[in-house]
Amino acid sequence: MISQEFEFHAPKQLSEALNLLQRYGDDAKVLAGGMSLVPLMTLGLLQPKVVVSFNHIRELDYVNEDKGMLRIGAMTRHSTIRANPLIGRHCPLLSEAASYVGDVQVRHRGTIGGSVAHADPAADYPPVMLVVGAQVKLQSAKGERVVKMENFLKGLMQTDLLPGELLTEIQIPKLPDGAGSSYQRLHRVEGNFAIVNAAAVIEKGFKSARLGLGGVGETAILVDVTKRLGKGVNDEALRGVSDDAYAASHDAYGDLNGDADYRKAMARIYAQRVTKAAAARMS
Amino acid sequence: MKYIGEEILGLPNRQLAAGKGQFVGDVQLDGMLYMAVVRSPYAHARIRGINTKPAEEVPGVQYVMTGKEAFERMNSITESYDTAAMGAKSVKWYALCPERVRFVGEAVAAVVAEDKYNARKAADLIEVDYEELPVAHDPEEAMKPGAPLVEPDWGDNIMVTRDFLRGDPDKAFAEADGTISGVVKAQRYTGAAIEPRGYVADYDPFKDMLTFWASTQNPHPMRVFLAETLGIPETSIRVIQPNVGGGFGLKIPTFQEEPLLAYLARKLARPIKWIEERTENFLVGGHAREERLYYEAAYTKDGRVTGLRAKVIADVGAPSALVGWGMSFVTAYCIPTVYKIENCRVQLFTVVTNKCPWNAYRGYGKEAASFLMDRVMDGVAQATGIDRAEVRLKNFIQPDEFPFPQVSGAMIDSGNYQATLSRVLEMIDYKSFPKMQEEARKQGRFIGLGIGQELTPEGCSMPRSTMLSGYDGCTVRVNPSGQVTVLTGVTSPGSGNETGIAQIVADTLGADIKTIKVLQGDTDTCPYGLGNYSSRSIIMGGAAAQVSATEIREKMFKVASKMLEVAPADLDSEDGKISVKGAPTRFVLFKDVASTVYRDCYGKYACDVEPGLEATRYFRHPNVYHQPEIQGRFSAYPSWPNGVAACIAEVDPETGFIKIIRYCAVHDAGRIVNPLMAQANLHGGIVQGFGGAMYENLVYDEAGQLKTATFMDYTIPTAADVPSLDVEHMETLSPFNPLGCKGVGESGVTGPLGALCSAVENALPHLKLNFNETPLTPNRVWQEIQRAQQRGN
Repeated sequence: MISQEFEFHAPKQLSEALNLLQRYGDDAKVLAGGMSLVPLMTLGLLQPKVVVSFNHIRELDYVNEDKGMLRIGAMTRHSTIRANPLIGRHCPLLSEAASYVGDVQVRHRGTIGGSVAHADPAADYPPVMLVVGAQVKLQSAKGERVVKMENFLKGLMQTDLLPGELLTEIQIPKLPDGAGSSYQRLHRVEGNFAIVNAAAVIEKGFKSARLGLGGVGETAILVDVTKRLGKGVNDEALRGVSDDAYAASHDAYGDLNGDADYRKAMARIYAQRVTKAAAARMS
Repeated sequence: MKYIGEEILGLPNRQLAAGKGQFVGDVQLDGMLYMAVVRSPYAHARIRGINTKPAEEVPGVQYVMTGKEAFERMNSITESYDTAAMGAKSVKWYALCPERVRFVGEAVAAVVAEDKYNARKAADLIEVDYEELPVAHDPEEAMKPGAPLVEPDWGDNIMVTRDFLRGDPDKAFAEADGTISGVVKAQRYTGAAIEPRGYVADYDPFKDMLTFWASTQNPHPMRVFLAETLGIPETSIRVIQPNVGGGFGLKIPTFQEEPLLAYLARKLARPIKWIEERTENFLVGGHAREERLYYEAAYTKDGRVTGLRAKVIADVGAPSALVGWGMSFVTAYCIPTVYKIENCRVQLFTVVTNKCPWNAYRGYGKEAASFLMDRVMDGVAQATGIDRAEVRLKNFIQPDEFPFPQVSGAMIDSGNYQATLSRVLEMIDYKSFPKMQEEARKQGRFIGLGIGQELTPEGCSMPRSTMLSGYDGCTVRVNPSGQVTVLTGVTSPGSGNETGIAQIVADTLGADIKTIKVLQGDTDTCPYGLGNYSSRSIIMGGAAAQVSATEIREKMFKVASKMLEVAPADLDSEDGKISVKGAPTRFVLFKDVASTVYRDCYGKYACDVEPGLEATRYFRHPNVYHQPEIQGRFSAYPSWPNGVAACIAEVDPETGFIKIIRYCAVHDAGRIVNPLMAQANLHGGIVQGFGGAMYENLVYDEAGQLKTATFMDYTIPTAADVPSLDVEHMETLSPFNPLGCKGVGESGVTGPLGALCSAVENALPHLKLNFNETPLTPNRVWQEIQRAQQRGN
C-alpha cells in the first residue's frame, strides 16, 4: 500500500512534462510503466514528493526508422518492442530481449525508457543496448543531449540522468547486413529478473564481435571479443570468449538467485552460448 | 449412482469466472474503518515503551491500541491445537504483544482510522522503544545448552519430543549386510495463496452481535476462539466465510489479527476492515517445512530394509496459538510411510526459534516423511545395485496386510502400493528409459528419471481439540417444492467440495443435481462443523451429508410407499422420481412427496411421519482411537491416501538448470467423487511440490530478518514453468468410510521432492551426486556438480 501522500501530475505534452521536472528537480519521480516505481513506493522504499506520469504523452510512443537508425520513443511498451516489425528486422535481439521482460502483464505496461532509466543490473535491455551501440536522448527544459549507452549506465541503478532530465528516446543503429545476433538469459521462474543475461552481435566475416553481459556487475558490461573470433568460432575461440567474459565479471554480486561465483561461471557459459548462436545466424 | 464419479463442473465456476465472487476484500459496510498493524522490526526484543501520540494526531485516526490493553482487556489467544493434550510446552499469546516480541512482524500495536492510507501512515509514526535480545536462529544451535531462549520460562527451546520404538533397531543394525546414513533437509516455505488473509468485523451493540467476515477455513472453531479470547458468548458472534482465494491450511485460525479486529470493532462499535498485504503475509501469515531428518538405515544385500533410525529436528519458529507446530509431530508420525520396516526408532525434537510461527500448510509434515523414505530407498538401491523401483516393491506393506499399524500408532487403513507404482512405471515407460537416456546422451543431453512416493494421511482427529477433533455435521433440507438445501459444517477454500457434496446428496436422494443448493461458511445458518483442513471435506463432510440425506430419503420413501402402495424396500429413486424397483413407470415425483409432507401432514400418506424434511447428522470416523496405549501412541488419522510420481528431468550440467520433461502420477484416494476436481487438486498440489523442490525458500539471516518478503525474492513457479502433468487415479476404497473416500486435498505436493532429487542424480550418474536437500536451485545443483567434478567423478 502506498500510504505516503504525493503530488501527482499527468501532463499531455512533453514540454509541459519537462517543465514540471525542471520545477521539482530531485523531488520528482517519473512514472512510466510503473513496473519498478510502483513496487518501490508500495514497499515504502521510495517516497517521492512528486510523481510525474508520462503515460498520457503520446509523442513518446513510437518506433521509427531514420537514416540507418531505429528511434524508439521512451514510452514504447515492451509488448510493442517485442512485436514491432522494424525492430524485428533491424535489431532482432532487442525483440528477443523484450520477450523475456517480466510477464505478459508487465510487458503490456512497462516501457523501454523506464527500464533503461531504472538501470537494474540484470535488466534485459542493457546488454543489448551495449552490443548494438545504442545511445539515449536526454531532454530537459533547457535542451537535449545524446549519450552513448556505455556512458549512460553509471552504476547500480545509477545513470547519467541529471535532475530535470528525462530519457526520451533510444537510438539504435540498424545491425549491419549479414550480422548475426543473439540474446539469452538464465532465470528461475517466469517473471523473474535474469540471474545472468548476455547479448552478442557478430558482423559478417567476424569483422567485429561484441558481447554484452548483465547480472555480473553493477551495470551491464560490454566486452569486445573481435580478436578472439579472428579464425571464426572454434573451441579455442570460445574458450577465449569465456575467459574474457569471466574476467569482465570480476565485480559480480551475489543474491538469493545466484552467488557471485555462480554468476561469474554463468557469464562464461552464456558468453559462449550467445556467441555460438550469433555466429550461426550470421550470413 | 448417477453423479458420484462424474466430472461435474464446479458449482461456483460461473460466478468466479464472471468476477462476481464475494471475497472479504469486497465486503463494504457503511462507516467502515480500517486497521493497520505495527509490527516488530526485531526478531527478539523487549518493549520498553510505546509513544502513540504521533499516530493519534494523524487526521482520521479513531483509535490506537497497544499490547497493554490487549493484556488487560483480553484473554490470551485460544490455542487451535491443544498443546497440553500433546504434552507440549505452551505460551500465552496476546492479540498484541504486551512486553516482548519473538519474531519479526509480531504485532505490537494497532491503529484504526477512517481510511486505510491514514491508518498505515499513523501506524508508521508510532515510536516503539525496543531493547534487542539475543536471537535463536538455527534449530540445532537452539537445542544446545546456553543458547538464547525464545521463551525464558521454558528453560530450553524444545517444545515437544517423541520417541517411537518398534522391534530392535540395534540388533537389526548389528546383523545388517550394510547400512547407509545421511540427513534430509527441507527448507522453510509456505503456500502463498493468491488472496492474503483479511477480516471485516462489525458490531451491533443493540443486538449484542459481532459479525465477523473472515478469509478463513474454519468459521465455527473461529467463533469459539473469538468468544474465548474476547470473553464474550459464542451466541453473540456470527462468523461468515465469503469466497476464499486459497487456504492450503494457512488460513486456519488463530492469528493475532483475528481477535484484535473483533475486539476493536466491539470497542468502537464501528465496522473495521483489515486486509493483509503480501509482505505481511510473508512475514506473519504462517510458515512451514523447515526440518532436518537424520537417518540411518540397515539393509540386507537383497534390498530389504531391516532397520531404521530417524531423528527429526523441526524449526517451528516462535511458539504461538497456531496449529502449525503439529506438523513436526506428523512428520515423525508418518515414518516409515508405505514401508514395512520391522525395527524402527523415530525421535522427534520440535524446536522453537525467533522466526515466524509455523501454520498448517498442505502436506502438514507428511511430505518430509515421504521425502526421507524416498532418499532411504534410493540410497539402498544405490548401495545394493538393485533397481530403485525393485527396492520399493520389496519393502512395501502388502495389500493384504491392512489395516497396518505403524510404529507411531498410526493405523493405515488400506492401500495397494505395488499397483500404483507398477502403473506409474508403465505410464512413464520405465523399461525403455535407459535407452531413451542413452539416446539423449548421444545428443549431449542429460536426462534422469526419479520416483517420488507419497503417503498423506487425512481426516486429522486429535484428542481434546476444538478444531481438530475430527467429525463433521451437515443439514439436508428438502423444501416444500422439492428443491434441496444443504448446509455444511465443512467449507471450501476454492477446492470444490461444495460440488462434491451436491453430487453425494443428489445420488443419495435420487434428486436432480440442479435442484440442490449447498450453503457453507456461516455460523448462523450452517450446523456446527470444523471446516476445511486435512482433506476432510469429502471424507467427513461428504459422509455427514450422506448420513443426513439417507435419513431424509428413508422418510420420503415411507411416504412414497403409501402413495405407491408398495413396501419402502421396493422403492428406488433417481432424476427426481421415486419409483418401484423393476417397474419404472410406477413412480411419484420427488417434489410431490415433499409437497405431501409439508402440505398434508394430517393426510393419509404423511400422517405417520414427523412433519418437515430436515435432518442434521454428524459423522465420526471409525478408524480413529484416542485412548493412548504404550508409549502414549494413538491413531489420529483415519484415512491414508497415497500416490507415486515418476518424473523425467533434464539437467544442464553447465548451469545446473533443471527442466521437467515429463511428470506422471498415480494417486489412490479411494473413491473419487469428482475426477475433474480431484485432477485440479492434484495439479495444484504437484505444482506446489515443484515450488518446494526447486523454487521456494523463506530465507532468514542470523539476526532473524526475513530476506524473502516479496515475490521478487520468493520465487514460485507459474504455468510457464510447469510441464503438462499426467495424473491417473486408482480406487482402493477405504473400508472405514461409507463412500470409500480417503481425501485428495494434500495429494501431489510430496512426490516432486523425492522424484526430482532422484531424477537429477540419475541424469548425471557418473558424478555420483547426492541431493538430500531442497530447493534444487540452479546455483546449488551447479555447485554440487562442480564439487563432484573436483572429486574426480
